[in-house]
Amino acid sequence: MIPLPRMNTPRFALLAAILLWPVQFVWADAAIEGRVELPKARTAPVMNRRYEIVSKGGVLSTNPPLAVVYLEGQFPAPTNPALLQVTQKDMAFIPTLLPLQAGTRVEFPNLDDTYHNIFSYSPAKRFDLGRYRPDERPIPSLLFDVPGLVVLRCDIHEHMRGLILVLATPYFVLTDPAGHYHLTGLPPGKYVLKAWLDSKTTLEHPVELQDGAALQLNFP
Amino acid sequence: MVAMMLVVFGVTALALFFAQRNMAANVKRDLQREFQGELTALHAMRDVRHAALAELCRMLARKPRIHAALEDNALDLLYPSARDELRDILTSDDPAHQDSGSGTLHARFYRFLDGEGNVMAPPNGQGAGWLNATEEAQLNLKTLPPLPQTGYLTRADDGLGERVEEVIAMPIVSSETGAPIAALVLGFRPMDLNTRRATEGIRSGVWLGGRLHLPALNEATRKALADEVSRDMVDVGRADKNLTVEIDGSPYLMFYKLLNPASLFPRAFEVCLYPLADSIDRQHRLFWQFTAVGGLLLLGAFGASRFLSIQLAVPVEKMAIDSEENRAQRVRAETALELTHEELQRSARFSADASHQLKTPVTVLRAGLEELLAGEKLTAEVREEMSTLVHQTFRLTSIIEDLLLLSRMDAGRLQLDFSPVNLTQLLDAWLDDLGALPDAVELAVETDYPPALFILGEKRYTAIILQNLMENARKYNRAGGRIRVAARTEDEWGILVIGNSGQPIPPDAQENIFQRFHRGVAGENVPGHGLGLNLARQLARLHGGDLRLARSDGEWTEFEVRFRLVVPVRASTRVSA
Repeated sequence: MIPLPRMNTPRFALLAAILLWPVQFVWADAAIEGRVELPKARTAPVMNRRYEIVSKGGVLSTNPPLAVVYLEGQFPAPTNPALLQVTQKDMAFIPTLLPLQAGTRVEFPNLDDTYHNIFSYSPAKRFDLGRYRPDERPIPSLLFDVPGLVVLRCDIHEHMRGLILVLATPYFVLTDPAGHYHLTGLPPGKYVLKAWLDSKTTLEHPVELQDGAALQLNFP
Repeated sequence: MVAMMLVVFGVTALALFFAQRNMAANVKRDLQREFQGELTALHAMRDVRHAALAELCRMLARKPRIHAALEDNALDLLYPSARDELRDILTSDDPAHQDSGSGTLHARFYRFLDGEGNVMAPPNGQGAGWLNATEEAQLNLKTLPPLPQTGYLTRADDGLGERVEEVIAMPIVSSETGAPIAALVLGFRPMDLNTRRATEGIRSGVWLGGRLHLPALNEATRKALADEVSRDMVDVGRADKNLTVEIDGSPYLMFYKLLNPASLFPRAFEVCLYPLADSIDRQHRLFWQFTAVGGLLLLGAFGASRFLSIQLAVPVEKMAIDSEENRAQRVRAETALELTHEELQRSARFSADASHQLKTPVTVLRAGLEELLAGEKLTAEVREEMSTLVHQTFRLTSIIEDLLLLSRMDAGRLQLDFSPVNLTQLLDAWLDDLGALPDAVELAVETDYPPALFILGEKRYTAIILQNLMENARKYNRAGGRIRVAARTEDEWGILVIGNSGQPIPPDAQENIFQRFHRGVAGENVPGHGLGLNLARQLARLHGGDLRLARSDGEWTEFEVRFRLVVPVRASTRVSA
């Protein structure tokens, strides 16, 4: 018989805590999943998932349609701002729709062989990066700290459009083309779950999240 | 002559009249064409400029910043953004710099119209070109235009009254909805046609709201013309028209044309004036020039016609005189001819009569002499003498016969009865006779002719030709000489050549040997009477041929006679062969 090594109580407790911490974390947070009924795509979806910004009656949305599902509530601003990118490639913004938490910095690298001049007159963020070439260093970047929809345009290429959805929450997710979403790691509490469909349409639903519970919620 | 001059005068005057009328019509037509041509050129220039301005506006209306300001609810950035975009084409606000270097494509102001078609006032008027409230109000449209609109704006000109500026309202179509959401209005100074080189003579202005803006004219004239255009426009209702007007006593051709058809802005007309005074002066000048030139031409024509008539009359008169002389000469000639003919007839008759009258006594004489000769009482000398006399009667008979024949030919009374004559046969016969003559024995005779040679003739006269020539060949031969007789055919001719040796005929005598009673140099010792060759030639010609002296030199003389061949016989012979 092989004798078990001896372990004193405090050391065991620490080991147990380390091993069980993720379990406790997962089990403690809530999750929501479901489906957003997306409007029909204007054209057949393409295989490479290239999205473009289209408008109908002055309403901006992506095509094929995508929705941003986010949890609205009082959440602290991020202490360590994340850094995201919206690239300009083949005369288009990639991604065409970027949801982010307010306080996030976004870089705008130019991957085309020509000048671009990104600007926005949107109330959420007015800016003009001026003309710059692909080799511009440092890569021009901006801090988005006011929630709202920012329409990105290029002063040189009038057809280019991009959207940045600045949210006051760290809990958000982009649906898949079928409208399915899955939000995890949500803190328990009472919130409003919103689904942004286009610049004029945001659906919402109040939710109450409980520890470790998984909620099923479809829009509408 | 006077009638001719009058005709020339009249025709010239008529031609001048029509030429003058034609020229006047041409001048008028040229004027119209010139005016229309200049106008067309101006309009083409204006259309090009307008197209350029419209394209400029269209380009500006597509600018992303202007769209962003309108679509992203950033109207406060609209005018500043537009100012940045329009910086290159906007003239300075500073009046001192407005005119300097501002091309026709430079805008003087710009405004935006909102969704209702009303002017969105610029934040502080700066940078968008200054307009007072009245001027700005003229830009309001009742609705937002779906298409570009052209309009004209009356503006106060500092101390100079009013001026007109051209505006283009270009709808701004939302890139998101595709519907017009606003309009960009740009104001330009109209193209000043009065300063263009091509428009020399043409004055151009704009009729707007019942007023004519044409600085070159005074106020009263402008008002009168504006009223006329207004009235004409109402009466006729056309978009363009030509009419003649009078300004300060001078006639002008006036043309007006609608500048902005189907526009939401008030209608404006382009009014062009073309002075007719110069052209009328030109016409007057032309008239007088024509009259002067015409007068000169008429005078010239008068002189020319007179000169011509004189020139023409001289030869005609001369011809008349000549003709009279010719007629007299002809009458004289005819008379002379008649006389000659009668003379000839008489002569021929005389010759014939004489021959007949002579032949009888000669025959009687010969008979008498032969009777006496037959007597036996005569001495040998008398007999010799009488024998000579008898011989002379033969000679006399021969002469008389020849003369008789010649006289018949001269009188044209000898007609040959043509039939085929075998020349060879005649030659053979004569050569036989020659052999019988006592003095011919010493002569060598060469012959070279075909076995049969048929010519056209009458045998007895053909024989006379041959006989005369042969006798000559014998008579004028030398002792022991030779005679050569040759015949051949040549085309349609049968040619007989008779040559003899002996003293040649001197060159200066050769011309005369065919004349009557001409004797050769050896004539004294040779019997003959100088009629033979003449007779032979006349007969040869009657045969349709001729006789000529072929050669006479050294010791040899040759005569050539030409007869017509019997063609049908030859032809049939050839066919049968």
